[in-house]
Amino acid sequence: MKKTRNIIKAMLPPEFRSIRFFSFLFLMALAFVALLIFRIPKYKGYIDPFYSPTILILPAIALFRLTCYAFRKSYNRHVFTHPMACIVSSSNDLNKNYTGESSYVFRIENLHRYFMYFSVLILPFFYYDAYVSFAYNFSLIRLGSILLLADAIILSLYVFSCHSVRNLIGGNKDCFSCMKFSISRKKIFDLQSFLNEHHEFFAWFSLAFIIFIDLFIRAMIAFHFDIILLHI
Amino acid sequence: MERKIKIFSSKQERLIEYTVPIEHGMVVLDAVIYVLEHFDSSISARWNCKAGRCGSCGAEINGIPSLMCKTRLDSINGDIEVVPMKVFPNVKDLVVDPTDTWRIKKAMPNFKISEMVISKSSGITATKNITLYEYDVTRAQEFKKCIECFLCLDSCHAIRVHKSAYIGPMHVAKAASLDMNPLDSLDRRDFLDKNGIRFCNVTKCCTEVCPAKIKITDNAIIPEKERINDKKII
Repeated sequence: MKKTRNIIKAMLPPEFRSIRFFSFLFLMALAFVALLIFRIPKYKGYIDPFYSPTILILPAIALFRLTCYAFRKSYNRHVFTHPMACIVSSSNDLNKNYTGESSYVFRIENLHRYFMYFSVLILPFFYYDAYVSFAYNFSLIRLGSILLLADAIILSLYVFSCHSVRNLIGGNKDCFSCMKFSISRKKIFDLQSFLNEHHEFFAWFSLAFIIFIDLFIRAMIAFHFDIILLHI
Repeated sequence: MERKIKIFSSKQERLIEYTVPIEHGMVVLDAVIYVLEHFDSSISARWNCKAGRCGSCGAEINGIPSLMCKTRLDSINGDIEVVPMKVFPNVKDLVVDPTDTWRIKKAMPNFKISEMVISKSSGITATKNITLYEYDVTRAQEFKKCIECFLCLDSCHAIRVHKSAYIGPMHVAKAASLDMNPLDSLDRRDFLDKNGIRFCNVTKCCTEVCPAKIKITDNAIIPEKERINDKKII
């Protein structure tokens, strides 16, 4: 048993030889399989954000989040323990094998911009879901529809506050006044920079919010209820 | 009220404990100066302005790289441990030798004014009259706040593991301030790529410890990484 474990260890790239990484991988796989098995149908106009448009694009979204600079901070600290915290200690708290992006496994993090383009393509589906839930009955305003709309807005804030977007809309230019529409471009860049400061918050909040909505819709289906806020 | 403070002694190669009476609003540097005046006058520590502007009193206080003059005693629970910064060779007690940083600064491609703004007429080289707009320079100006305290270099785990393979956050910020200057004509992407910017895994420890509150990771390292990705993605 110990021998096979050693062989498996030797086959893996040095970064991945930690129990934290495997528990993380196991939880991710478990979540994906659970979402695949326990599918939920459209309920009173509500479409679950995990099935919008289809669960098969989830790996692409997962790659966008995994290569995101905000999540990279978290998983480098807590999964790869490099470093666990900012305290400079003499004890051996660092994962000495980890070489950051210079290792070929982590070069994929540089592809973040392409995953970002894909995520921008996905965004309209969330707005469409919100529209469908409003269109189910225009004379009612329901809590679920408002939550779906809020989810779409938070997801857009998350995607557009990304560092790759920042590079795209002006971060790669040295001189704004040398370009056309200089002042308006700088204004857009400043607005995006302001959003970018809160990128980490949007990242975690959108992740938590999408899971909350999924659970909320599942609860509505399980107990056959719907919360109506307003009759028009 | 009294507090215990442990200061590293390079002669005995261990922490030596002193008991210091404290007053309201005291900082770690005050305690070190008290020890210097009352217990052991041979302790070496650099300090100058005591206002967080000169950046000479950097040390590791309970493991966190910080300026001694900006860390209040009432912000720390329990004993206080003051240790010199570990990335640099130790000279004596709390004094370290950061000569290597100047070597890296010299190796970095220096500011070279763009050809566009130079006019060469009748053998005389002069700069043209140009207008620099405020909105062009604000981005590069953020890094001018750097007080060169080297705390970011000390907190950087990439330097701790890979030693001189990575130049460190301070120098990336310096390179970014030159790169983002609208009048500069050089490109420091290759220099940064060669000097290990890819070892950085954006855990933002340098931003956390920076006493000048420069957002090193968000505004210098990540934009430079993205610029490198513009050129060479994998």
